[in-house]
Amino acid sequence: MKILLMGHPNVGKSVFFNRLTGAKVFESNYPGTTVDFTKGWMRFGGEDVELIDVPGAFSLEPKDRAEEVAVKMLEENRDSVVICVLDASKVERGLYLALEIIERGYPVVVALNMWDVAEDKNIRIDVEKLERILGVPVVPTIAISGEGFKELVSKIKEAAPVKIEKIIENAGGVESAAVSG
Amino acid sequence: MEKKLSEMDFDEEGTVKEIEETLRKQVAGMGIREGKNIRMATKQPIKGPVVVEVDESLTSLGLGVAEKIVVEVG
Amino acid sequence: MPLSVDERWNLIEKISKQTVEFGARKHTLKDAIAELTVKPLTGIPVAIAVLYGIWSFFVDFAGTLFTDGFMVRLFDEHWLPFLQNAFHNNLDNWAYRLFIDAGHIENGVLVASDNCLEAFGVLTSGFFVPFGVVLWAVLAFYLMFALLEDVGYLPRLAVLVDTVLHKIGLHGYAIVPTFLSLGCNVPGVTATRALETRKQRFLMITLLSVFVPCGAQIGIMQDLVPELMGWIFLTLAIGYLGFGFILNKIVPGKSPEIIMDVPPYRMPMMKNIVSKLWVRTSRFLLVAVPFVLLGCLIVGLMYLTGAMDWLATVLGPFLMSWFGVPEETVSPLIAGFLRKDLAVGMLGGLMEQGIMTTFQVFTSVVLLCIYFPCLATFALMLKEENWKEFLGSIASLVAMVLVYGGLIHLVGIMLEVA
Repeated sequence: MKILLMGHPNVGKSVFFNRLTGAKVFESNYPGTTVDFTKGWMRFGGEDVELIDVPGAFSLEPKDRAEEVAVKMLEENRDSVVICVLDASKVERGLYLALEIIERGYPVVVALNMWDVAEDKNIRIDVEKLERILGVPVVPTIAISGEGFKELVSKIKEAAPVKIEKIIENAGGVESAAVSG
Repeated sequence: MEKKLSEMDFDEEGTVKEIEETLRKQVAGMGIREGKNIRMATKQPIKGPVVVEVDESLTSLGLGVAEKIVVEVG
Repeated sequence: MPLSVDERWNLIEKISKQTVEFGARKHTLKDAIAELTVKPLTGIPVAIAVLYGIWSFFVDFAGTLFTDGFMVRLFDEHWLPFLQNAFHNNLDNWAYRLFIDAGHIENGVLVASDNCLEAFGVLTSGFFVPFGVVLWAVLAFYLMFALLEDVGYLPRLAVLVDTVLHKIGLHGYAIVPTFLSLGCNVPGVTATRALETRKQRFLMITLLSVFVPCGAQIGIMQDLVPELMGWIFLTLAIGYLGFGFILNKIVPGKSPEIIMDVPPYRMPMMKNIVSKLWVRTSRFLLVAVPFVLLGCLIVGLMYLTGAMDWLATVLGPFLMSWFGVPEETVSPLIAGFLRKDLAVGMLGGLMEQGIMTTFQVFTSVVLLCIYFPCLATFALMLKEENWKEFLGSIASLVAMVLVYGGLIHLVGIMLEVA
């Protein structure tokens, strides 16, 4: 098993990565296209698991090289758990990426990072409800202070693939292909 | 009134009406989608890129990209 | 089953309505600054101020404080005399001349050098160039770069320069490889991987390797010819944009437009900056130091065996007639294949002997910047580009050097300074 760290650029993913891994960190080049990415090991369930910091991406429909690499890395590690790091103050945009990853059948843990920034902006998120609708663990985190990390790590084992139809059902159905006003 | 995003004035607001098919998937992840409120934050001179605001996020688009988005303005 | 874009967004809106509550939105000062720094009317002056600030820091911190204030004294007043005394100023011994002091001819007599630029030994210049001058310049530069990167200023700079860079077939995003190259061309060329099309990468790599001097070179140029720096940068910038414009017309391929997130500003984290600084600087030293030492050794050997004099005689007439620089510049040009900083240092030695006019110094410094990427960059280009692109880069490089070098000479003649 591997753990992939995915998320938008500039959501504090590298700080996240440094918190989860020990001192052993390797910067590598992705063969072929070669955008830099980092990998390291984290203690999980009594063993060392490989953690890969995937280049930042807004969606799995690549619009630049870094996103191309992100998609390829995801496809090459079918047996991975994905920690999807979202900016809690821009949760909708983040959910777009999270849903894309869930749709592809990966077990996902959602980290609502920069929780403090969201609070400052008067944005309140009902974490339990979000967890119920998505059917995956959702954990508020503050990477720079380390808040929420223990809970995040403990919830990795709860991550399991979820059918998107199930999420649609939980959310109360969706008119397909209609443009919302 | 409908116009292209590239033709919007500085600080003008509108609603995204239509995005060219090839572009739609590329900007969807950044929150730019049909039905969304969009504001022209800056326009760079001599055919430079524009910067738009959607959901409190700033995104920069080349002028040619902005031409492929139609906006309804009040 | 994957959803369509619209289905996915509909679902998100549905989820968000049930789980997210957006309170009253207040515009903060940070929001205002975030926008003001990307608007042309306010953003461009800010960008100029930021760049000027970086330059001042670079000059004051690296140049004045560390190099002039400390390192020059350490090397010229202690290290060099110490070695000269320890080995009895033995200018007749080839090993002494190779490793400590090559000496130079004054009034027909071989005399000892009095500074570490002229001495040109492996143990003197070979250590003075990387540790006395270049390390501080590169450190100062990478510190500034990491700060701009972590604060979130770079995307704004990218938007502001996209207007110009798109006209030469690049993105505003090309500011990142360009900027990094001002530290060292090697990570700069690596950073071109983030550019989208092969055409953009080719343009960028070619322009970087020719027109963007590295921090090592800038540091030592600033040390030697501070009064010419403005002209040198102007000449290089004109070359970068001018030849970029031409290459964009010639090279086939696409130059897609920019689609880029402009993130909010953030407080930089000390730990992040320190670790970036450490990684980048140590990588730089690993690349640079062996090449500088090797360069000293090779150039020293070429002098001792007479190969350098022979080359100077052969190439001298061409250099003089086409570029208007004296045959003595052959040796820095040879050293420049290995390390540009070392080569500029050698030019400094020539200047102190007073055999060049100011315009010749200017031309030689510019020539050194553009005539060939250093060996490390060259090797990386081989790795990053396919054969066709690599040959294309080399061909454009030769053409640009001949045309631009000749043009500078021509302008000099017309202005009657050459």
